Amino acid sequence: MTADAVRLVRLHAVSRRLPVALVLLAVCAAGLRGLLYGHWDDYGALQLPLIFEAASAAIIAVTAGSPFGEPERATGRWLPYLRLGTAVTLTGLASGALAAAGTGMPLAGGFADIVRNVAGLTGIGLLCATVLGGPLAWTGPLAYLVAGVYGLYTDWHPPALSTPWIWPARPPHDVGGALCAAVVFAAGLTAITLRGARVPAGGDGPG
Amino acid sequence: MTAASAPAAPWSAVLGSGRLLRLELRHNAMLWLLPVAFALFWYNGYREIMALPPMWNLRAMTLQNRLLFDLMIPATGAAAWMGSREGRRSITDLVAGTARPRWSRQLATWAATTAWAEIGCLACVAVVYLITARHASWGGPLWWPAVVSVAGVPALTAIGFAAGAWFPGRFVTPLVTVVVFFGLAYGTQAASGDHSYWQISPLTAGAFDIGAAPGVASFYPYLPDLSIAQVMFTAGLTVAILGALGIPVARMRWLAAAVTAAGLAAAGTAVALAGTGRLDPHGMIAIPALHDAASDQPVRYTPVCGRTPIPVCVHPAFATFLPAVTAAVGPELTEFAGLPGAPARISQVAVVYRQDPGNGITVSGGGPGAAAFVLPDEVPGRLGTTGAEFAAQLDEGLGLQLASDVILGGSNRAAASAPSQAELAVIAGSVRFPPSVEARDLAPVFGSLLPQPGSPAAQAARRFAALTPAARHAWLAGHLAALRAGRVSLAQLP
Repeated sequence: MTADAVRLVRLHAVSRRLPVALVLLAVCAAGLRGLLYGHWDDYGALQLPLIFEAASAAIIAVTAGSPFGEPERATGRWLPYLRLGTAVTLTGLASGALAAAGTGMPLAGGFADIVRNVAGLTGIGLLCATVLGGPLAWTGPLAYLVAGVYGLYTDWHPPALSTPWIWPARPPHDVGGALCAAVVFAAGLTAITLRGARVPAGGDGPG
Repeated sequence: MTAASAPAAPWSAVLGSGRLLRLELRHNAMLWLLPVAFALFWYNGYREIMALPPMWNLRAMTLQNRLLFDLMIPATGAAAWMGSREGRRSITDLVAGTARPRWSRQLATWAATTAWAEIGCLACVAVVYLITARHASWGGPLWWPAVVSVAGVPALTAIGFAAGAWFPGRFVTPLVTVVVFFGLAYGTQAASGDHSYWQISPLTAGAFDIGAAPGVASFYPYLPDLSIAQVMFTAGLTVAILGALGIPVARMRWLAAAVTAAGLAAAGTAVALAGTGRLDPHGMIAIPALHDAASDQPVRYTPVCGRTPIPVCVHPAFATFLPAVTAAVGPELTEFAGLPGAPARISQVAVVYRQDPGNGITVSGGGPGAAAFVLPDEVPGRLGTTGAEFAAQLDEGLGLQLASDVILGGSNRAAASAPSQAELAVIAGSVRFPPSVEARDLAPVFGSLLPQPGSPAAQAARRFAALTPAARHAWLAGHLAALRAGRVSLAQLP
């Protein structure tokens, strides 16, 4: 890798606030670790990781926004690869950090659950970024958080939600849920790679 | 004095504020997030509320638990987004020179965000209440749960707005939203018992381990004690946060500090009041300082009765369950009607709740005989309870009570001497336990009211059960006295 390539990657990362995002992902992992020391009832124990997974996905989605807007798209052919690399790297780091935070602790669902949920939620966030713009991309993962929490709730209070599209409510090794999360993640990656985050006409969004 | 230098009319400031508010309403992120709020409420709250039986207490209390939960993400997020606007767009210095102080501008933006969120909240309340009004068999809207939800919205937007204003940045909005979600949704995890301070959470409708139950606020009025404390808390919190926004403004520092202090005092008082709560026998939290003794009087109502040989009468709010009740215990009612010891009428009475250590709740009720009974809180539609499970509970409770009362001649006899095997066989043969009732459900009554499985008495019970209710009635009419006196053997049972 040439010095120019390294510089390009570094500048792209800085423009997307990646250093701050990495710190926040670490804070999320630390927060999960700290809360796992507490005593939680069944609801809390199962739903707790999902909150941090959604927060991580929202952070990743928000980094998709470009501060330069349209002019950046004319700068060269590497931008799609940089977007793809950023999203995949952050998703991997978030999954790894959350899994590391749960090591040796009673983490519901385990690593498989974390990877599936972070990937799916990030996919939703990236799709939101292409539709709403980076700054408002958090709406998708956080709205889905409510749906996921409710899905887990129905595991106790039937009728349980059986659709694999609410994958947080499915067992960690459920193929249907994993496939749906993977499809959403792939769609999000494709959209953000090819189109990038939307740049709202009036600035950074409504308000 | 020229027209240009004339003092502004008193109402011009109001008009100016109105104009500013209108502008903020037109350019507000909450307006765009209303569809998200409605979608979340439909998915998470509305479907579950509508699956409940059409009883005002069940639906209104569940609404309080769900509505704010569903509005949390869009309302807090939109408020944080709007609060961070000046900092996010780096226009703080630009707007600093405008005629209005920053606090005033911020309050207008917050008010507009809150107004849209309240519109969403009220629309959800209206839909649920209008549909319930069409289907409920008795009673009227419970307003306090709705008031708590409506009062909780400004608190959500105030928290989000303040976080956005103080820490403008692209990551603040999702982070504060997640923090609020976590705090509100899991804030009651540490709650324990009826004296818990955590029940101040506006998502808490009643006692923790009862929640929205049919027996709560049906025979007795809905106690507003906890709701008043919750409204006081959310209003105080809102005032305190909005006041704190004004503290950096030099000209208004003391006013803002006083407002903040007043808000904190109100919120703190509300938390302290919640900690003095106690579970009353009717399943609601009574707070002595806020309690109105008139609320302890039972509600007047005309019972709804079925046309069975022994009429079963229920509270009109439970009228939708009367067919299920009469269907479940219909054979027993036919069999025992008119026999010595059988009640002339069976009436539903209020459930009695008692707080146990921790979050445990003891639910009891009914009387020593079968003339008074309580309907189980697990009615069809609540927490996934099916009609078969409801019928099973009735047979285990009312059916068994009725049969043992008639066969054993009342509770005094049962306490005085152990029932004979023939009596146990007749009781077991009279009560029709649905297939969903398993042996382990009945294990506690084996030996006291039912014969041991596989015993000769159990075989005689199966023989007796094969008869029609009318045939069993005819046999009992001729042999009940001898049966009670112990002069009927198992072999003599039909």
